[in-house]
Amino acid sequence: MDLTLVLQGLLSGLLFGGVYSLMAVGLTLIFGVMRVVNFAHGDMMVWGMYLSYLLATRAGIDPYLSFVVCAAALFALGLLVQHGLVDRVIDAPHEMQILLMLGVALVLENLALVAFGPEPTRVRSPLGAATLWLGPVFVDIARLVTFVVAVLLTAALSLFLYRTDLGRTIRAAADNTYGALVVGIDVRRVYAVAFGVGAACVGAAGALVSSILPFQPPTGLSLSVTSFNIVIIGGMGSLLGALIGGLLVSVAESLGAVFLKPSLKELVSFSLLIVILLFRPAGLFGKRTS
Amino acid sequence: MTKHRLTRRTFLKATAAGATVAGFPLPLRAQPKTFKIGVIHPVTGALAEPGQACRLGAQMAADAINAAGGIKSKGGIKLELIVGDTQTKPENGRVEAERVVNRGTRMLMGSFDSGSTNAMASLAQQRRVPLLIDIAAADPITANVAKSVKEGQQKVQYVYRNFPTGSSFGRKAVQYFNEIFKEANASPKRVVLMYCNDLFGQNQARGFQAAHKAANPSWEIVEAIPWPEPPSDLSTEISKAKAAKPDVIAPITRPASALLLFPEIRKQRIEMMGIVGPGSPGLYEAGQLAALKEDLEYVLTSVPWANFKNPQTNAVAEEYRKRSGGKTFDTNSGYSYDGMFVIADILERAGSLEDPDAIVDAMKTTNFSAGLMQYGGPVVFNELGDNPNAIPTMIQILSQKPVAVWPKEAALQKFVFPRPKA
Repeated sequence: MDLTLVLQGLLSGLLFGGVYSLMAVGLTLIFGVMRVVNFAHGDMMVWGMYLSYLLATRAGIDPYLSFVVCAAALFALGLLVQHGLVDRVIDAPHEMQILLMLGVALVLENLALVAFGPEPTRVRSPLGAATLWLGPVFVDIARLVTFVVAVLLTAALSLFLYRTDLGRTIRAAADNTYGALVVGIDVRRVYAVAFGVGAACVGAAGALVSSILPFQPPTGLSLSVTSFNIVIIGGMGSLLGALIGGLLVSVAESLGAVFLKPSLKELVSFSLLIVILLFRPAGLFGKRTS
Repeated sequence: MTKHRLTRRTFLKATAAGATVAGFPLPLRAQPKTFKIGVIHPVTGALAEPGQACRLGAQMAADAINAAGGIKSKGGIKLELIVGDTQTKPENGRVEAERVVNRGTRMLMGSFDSGSTNAMASLAQQRRVPLLIDIAAADPITANVAKSVKEGQQKVQYVYRNFPTGSSFGRKAVQYFNEIFKEANASPKRVVLMYCNDLFGQNQARGFQAAHKAANPSWEIVEAIPWPEPPSDLSTEISKAKAAKPDVIAPITRPASALLLFPEIRKQRIEMMGIVGPGSPGLYEAGQLAALKEDLEYVLTSVPWANFKNPQTNAVAEEYRKRSGGKTFDTNSGYSYDGMFVIADILERAGSLEDPDAIVDAMKTTNFSAGLMQYGGPVVFNELGDNPNAIPTMIQILSQKPVAVWPKEAALQKFVFPRPKA
């Protein structure tokens, strides 16, 4: 086996893992706080991608700058979805919430189809084509930047949750809703903020990968599935789990492509899921629930 | 101004009258004024872009046929398209075909991807509705039907195809590779085949590999690299291709994977003579050219292509550009356009439009030479129901535009191979 190839696979996988992590962080936050599985997660990400596409083609703003705008827009969308829709079924059984979120996913996907048409596209950024060669191995600058931003955003999010008052109220509401109500926390507002922040994460992720990944309206579903896989491997509701899970899945797929037929690489990541579910049903960093 | 108010009584009367008419057996009604054709493509979902191109191509052809007086030998009966959408799900080929047949369509055309076309074919056989496949390459779709008719399990073959098959794509690609290498005085030795691992990609790759084995040319396929479609990342796949030290990379892509593949090939700086595709979408569509720009420059690919030496093709392409909002008249719109004209030709010659077997008889004797695509001869159907004259053309992206470059009789410009070093 070619050592350069293995090294390159490892590096590419690790850097691409940043994208996966950022995708998963938003999902795990929403689930951790509200126990709502956001099936529209991938479609929200696709909207983040299209927003950055619009900003790049109409206003000439590079996606590595416009991700802040995309995050803000998706925060608003998240707030709206939580306030107008999720809030009404928050106490309903899980299957009701899943149906609702699937409905939101369908609406988002088809709105994108109407607005942007069916062709796959990607955003062109000068960073997208830049590479740094370390001997025979190369570093993809776009991925490196995405990786760094993803790690920073995850760190910032965890600081927000653990060091600010609003973060503490979010965690309080997540741990014990009733208790939070008793001490006077406006749980509905907290939920809306958490959903908004989760959506903002995935909006930023969408913008950051819009120059790496091609996208079209139906891309959302596969993004959702990958995010679920990562969140389950990392542990539902755990930020660190989402970060590590994302890197793990990406490296596993990349090395899978090196050692096996590349068409089998998804087999590796989903086998990983099964193994983790067998031996650590709550995921790598998940808390066991009684 | 008089107002028509819908009261309960008028409503009941109208409904009763409608029900009476609808309830009458067919022969007592007046002859229908249109001939309904079910046109099914993936108009939403991952293949929506080509599916919508097919639908528009078919609609434009039907409009042109109707404007020119419909089916003249049948009293100028007009064509009416009942459209269906598979949503890019193979099983919906059958569901949608059933729906349009229940709405009275007497012929079917479709459906771009081999999976859903195969599902349509089984319904066409069951319900005895002649199906003309406008696009779908997998060999077994027609071959299986022909086999079961030959073995006596079914009486009549209702499924015919005016499109190259996977195996003929492979044979032609290997032939064009050899001819181009020879003409260019180049002798590449190592070819790396890269393909999307869906039904289409597997079938294309298999056809190419089989044809390569049969022809035994001076170049070798040193590595075959399939990826899951749609892919989320192809950097490791390209690293693998690079490690195989290719002279030529032969990609079989879908539009989304092409957007990932070509920038990555450039990024990893693979030294080679060029990229020559055995046939796939994703390399020539207007949107792809805009998104990939210089990443596609000098890429060669063998695809079914319109014959732009024919002035009529240029006129239709111009109309297509207007009606599609700026898109190129290509493989998809072109073959669906031709398909509708082949159907009109069949209906002109059919002994009766009521009897599906009479339509099939006319199909079998088709000899149609007014198509806009690049054919190797007139549209005819062989014993399998395929048109052996449906052949691909080698095109190359030159100055951001797809141009026919091989075979010589189709070429509008000379190809560039090996590509200039960056």
